[in-house]
Amino acid sequence: MKEIQLAIPVFYPMAGALITYLIGKKSREARNYLADFIVVSEFFMLLYGAVCLQGTESILEGVCGMGLHFTMDGFRGIYGVVAAFMWMMTIIFSREYFRHYRNRNRYYLFQLITLGATIGVFLSANLYTTFIFFEIMSFTSYVWVAQDERKESLRAAQTYLAVAVIGGMVLLMGLFMLYTSVGTLEVSELYEACRNYPDKRVLYISGSCLLVGFGAKAGAFPLHIWLPKAHPVAPAPASALLSGILTKAGVYGILIISCYMFYGDTKWGSMILALGVVTMFGGAVLAVFSIDLKRTLACSSMSQIGFILVGTGMQCMLAEENGLAVHGTFLHMMNHSLIKLVLFMVAGVVFMNTHQLNLNDIRGFGRKKPFLHLTFLMGALGIGGIPLWNGYISKTLLHESIVEYSGAPIFVFVEWIFLISGGLTVAYMLKLYLSIFWEKNTDAAKQVEFEGMKKSYIDKQSMFAIGASAVILPVLGMTPVKTMEKLAGISQGFMLMHEEPHIPRFFGMVCLKGGLISIGIGVLVYLFVIRTVFLRKKAGSASYYVDAWPKWLDLENLIYRPLFERILPFIGVFLCRIGDSLIDSIIVLLRKTLYKDCKIPHRTGSLPKLDAVIGTLLDKGAVYLKKREESVSYRWKLGRKALERRESRDMIRFSLSYGLQLAGIGMLFILVYLLL
Amino acid sequence: MYIQAWILCSIFIPAAAGLLFLVLPARKMREKKMSWAAVLALVLTVASVGMLLFSYSRGTKAQLTLFSLTEGLDISFRLDDLGAFFLGFIAFIWLLGGIFSVEYLNHEHHKRRFWGFYLLTLCALQGLSLAGNLVTMYLFFEMMTLVSMPLVLHTQTHEAVMAGLKYLFYSMCGAYMALFGVFVFYHFGKSMEFLPGGVMDSAVLAQNGTILHLGIFLMILGFGVKAGMFPMHAWLPTAHPVAPAPASAVLSAIIVKGGVLAVMRSVYYVAGAELLKGSWVQYAWLILALITIFLGSMLAFKEPVLKKRLAYSSVSQASYIMLGMAVLNPTALTGSLLHVLFHAFIKTALFLSAGAVIYQTGYTRVGQLRGIGKEMPVTIWCYTFVSLALIGIPPASGFISKWYLAEGLLESGVKTFSWLGPVVLLVSALLTAGYLLPVTIDGFLPGEDYNYQARKKREPSVKMVLPLIILAAGALIMGVFPGGLITFLGNITAAVV
Repeated sequence: MKEIQLAIPVFYPMAGALITYLIGKKSREARNYLADFIVVSEFFMLLYGAVCLQGTESILEGVCGMGLHFTMDGFRGIYGVVAAFMWMMTIIFSREYFRHYRNRNRYYLFQLITLGATIGVFLSANLYTTFIFFEIMSFTSYVWVAQDERKESLRAAQTYLAVAVIGGMVLLMGLFMLYTSVGTLEVSELYEACRNYPDKRVLYISGSCLLVGFGAKAGAFPLHIWLPKAHPVAPAPASALLSGILTKAGVYGILIISCYMFYGDTKWGSMILALGVVTMFGGAVLAVFSIDLKRTLACSSMSQIGFILVGTGMQCMLAEENGLAVHGTFLHMMNHSLIKLVLFMVAGVVFMNTHQLNLNDIRGFGRKKPFLHLTFLMGALGIGGIPLWNGYISKTLLHESIVEYSGAPIFVFVEWIFLISGGLTVAYMLKLYLSIFWEKNTDAAKQVEFEGMKKSYIDKQSMFAIGASAVILPVLGMTPVKTMEKLAGISQGFMLMHEEPHIPRFFGMVCLKGGLISIGIGVLVYLFVIRTVFLRKKAGSASYYVDAWPKWLDLENLIYRPLFERILPFIGVFLCRIGDSLIDSIIVLLRKTLYKDCKIPHRTGSLPKLDAVIGTLLDKGAVYLKKREESVSYRWKLGRKALERRESRDMIRFSLSYGLQLAGIGMLFILVYLLL
Repeated sequence: MYIQAWILCSIFIPAAAGLLFLVLPARKMREKKMSWAAVLALVLTVASVGMLLFSYSRGTKAQLTLFSLTEGLDISFRLDDLGAFFLGFIAFIWLLGGIFSVEYLNHEHHKRRFWGFYLLTLCALQGLSLAGNLVTMYLFFEMMTLVSMPLVLHTQTHEAVMAGLKYLFYSMCGAYMALFGVFVFYHFGKSMEFLPGGVMDSAVLAQNGTILHLGIFLMILGFGVKAGMFPMHAWLPTAHPVAPAPASAVLSAIIVKGGVLAVMRSVYYVAGAELLKGSWVQYAWLILALITIFLGSMLAFKEPVLKKRLAYSSVSQASYIMLGMAVLNPTALTGSLLHVLFHAFIKTALFLSAGAVIYQTGYTRVGQLRGIGKEMPVTIWCYTFVSLALIGIPPASGFISKWYLAEGLLESGVKTFSWLGPVVLLVSALLTAGYLLPVTIDGFLPGEDYNYQARKKREPSVKMVLPLIILAAGALIMGVFPGGLITFLGNITAAVV
């Protein structure tokens, strides 16, 4: 039991998923309760594990070839708990959200399997185990995206799957190379093994392969394409998990590469930093442009992943003095998971009632709904980095780590991009918040309908899920040193940080300055860009939001789809068809030229002349001598004989020439061999 | 003590049963009973194989010389680890295919002929696995071609007959190429017996490098025809799909492995890996294998007919095995042997599920299969599991073999190929996902406009579903617990490289 105790939270939900599925065929109510029970018990199991089983390991020898290896430490424990918590809340919320959906059984099945796989990723102690559960997670979560089977869902799901499969393959290539070069995939041994490995080039190549694989899942530029497509079409509870936790599984992998393979490697650090900056800024800009509630949140996720990558990059660059970056990265991961959980569930409530996500359609939905208003506000303030909410703390830590590293112009630039992205975060959250909760819908009848849903728009259970998740955010944010820094301190060992961290004064002027600059930028952007450019007036008095992003400027439709759907297959198939018909066409060519079948003469009226004359004479003689009838004709008999002779002659000639040619080629070979 | 009897039983029970089917007058057999009689023969064969393997595992030496053609040309059987490995899974899969056929053949005419040749082909394969020397192996190899051809032209349509002729032509051509190699090694070798590591003296190797290289290359090419290796692969996508589904399954999953076994025997048990290491033969072989892998996957990706798509997939997958053998490295060779087994399970299951779909709906093209998962859930679930295994998604089995193949390639240090090989493997895996998954996706996610009222439950009967479930479960479980298998195969490969 001791040896496998960490494997239990991994396989328990998977086994539970099958039972849930089977029960679901009989009774829906029973299924829902069972699913609730599984996620709640899973949560407490992980809580117990995180508190009491620190430092234990579980090795399943020989399973899947190289064996599965799980371990429990601060980071893994906390992330396991966060994952289980998110699953618990979303499953509780799912009951109401899915009330009118088809194929719910399928949804629960894959939801629970993915839970097990995700826990498997976060508890994994070697990259082999990580990879196995990472792949399971990718494939099972595919079904979430496609759940409602609309055309755009299926298309988005296709993109999601393609990115997952391609990412997975590249990741596997990286693992092959890493394993053959340094000889281990154990995370705890990687640091030593990579430091002593002489050929850095191989490490960089394999590291980049791993980065592509994990980065694709994390949603890093330029493989972020699935993110803004998949989230809006997936059911809201699934979006919350996709963006809150599955992307973090990718980040987990990136952290392993950066902290263990490239600890203190400035080159690697700058690459991650550059990726992070592009992702962070790009995501924020996309979010500002978006007028779809869930798409905005999805782009926001991309942007926040960028923040986390910036932190990861800074960790590599700061090497031993990376305390701020380590804490910032970890806390921002955790904060983002918790915040997105709330925001996506609120979006789910909106969608559940209106079946719309476009800001113009759902505008004013939140008016006179204090509960929804408050919970959304918690999330928005959290992600916007407003002091006293949790996002502020982690962003401050990240910001301080950049400032601490260097005052070189390039880092001043990075710092400013960081602040501007933070500002854009404030701006797009402000846009969502004001349009949903303060502005009135352009359609007055709709507004009346919205305001009429006093209590009916949400049931008690969902209220609990959203409310409980939302309360955490300000609690964390208001007690940064007591809660957040403690958690970060527990988990820092995973990122190879061992000394006591230096805790900045979060509410001192130095730290507040960065936050306030961001907020200032955000308010300015909102007032002077969003309200003027994106909010157009119609001929009447009503204004509406426009999608100003050019339609053609879409990395997926512009580059990836044409490349992978048309150009590459076309070239490949063209070359392969040639190879495929090589021998067949040689055979056809030979039969048309050298080995031409001789025409076998048909029995025509024209007989060979000599035979005809002799035959006619014989016939006449026979008639004359024996008075026989015309029907037994020597002429005809002779003619046939002659034809047969000719046929066989042709055949002999045909096979003789064939044989001679073969013999000739054979002799040629012998000659060549003798000469050599 | 009775081990020789078991050898004879496992070869001649299917032979005798097959001949009886062909010779006995038709009116003596009722259709229903006939099928079960055939299954009974298969069960008896599996039982005798089981007994044989059981006595072999306890250390009994299994050798039997039947008769001598002339001095030094014996027809003899000998069981070693490699033979035991092939023997076991071939008989087992043959039995599952047989159970599936009981139902499936209701669609076909000439049942008697089908069963006759189905059993005879098993006999040829058992002989091939048990063969103790090159001559015996060659004999059974030729026999395999001849007795499996009637399975290809079973439906007797014009297309099937032409495909059968093409099959015959390519196979014969290959066999004669290989025959040249057999002569060469008969002349230069110490004996014709299979020995791990080869039968050649190092002195002979040094003096006659050129002719031996030519000989072994022709053997690889010639026997490789059966394994569908480029450039002589074109018969495979023509011949496999026209046969009845159970026959295509065993053609694609097992007979292809007959070619693999023959190449394996000639390279590792006659010529010896030393002869090929670093020579032009190795490089040519690697190139051909890589081309085949890519070509098969790419064309499968573009192929609209499901069974033909699966046949192209076999072309590609069989060359995974060839690639692993061509590296001449124990890890890669272990990967190859693992893939032999996994691919046998997976491809049988894929063809059988395609057969089940054809049997129940008559659909042959991938485009027609929208919503099929709602109608035949168990079948398509099995299809999905083995598809994932073939792509190499952990924890399903294909992942394990791919891992070993790629590790072997990388650690072998063969120039360029050590990294090009894994890259091609992964690109092909990607294409595999591209050609297998659409059936699952369209099958289970037909879109919101799918008419749920019009769907019919079309799950086939237990006789068809059971073999599928066993194969799919096997493909999954062997991936999760491959430990014993890897050790066993590791011993084989350690002895030959």
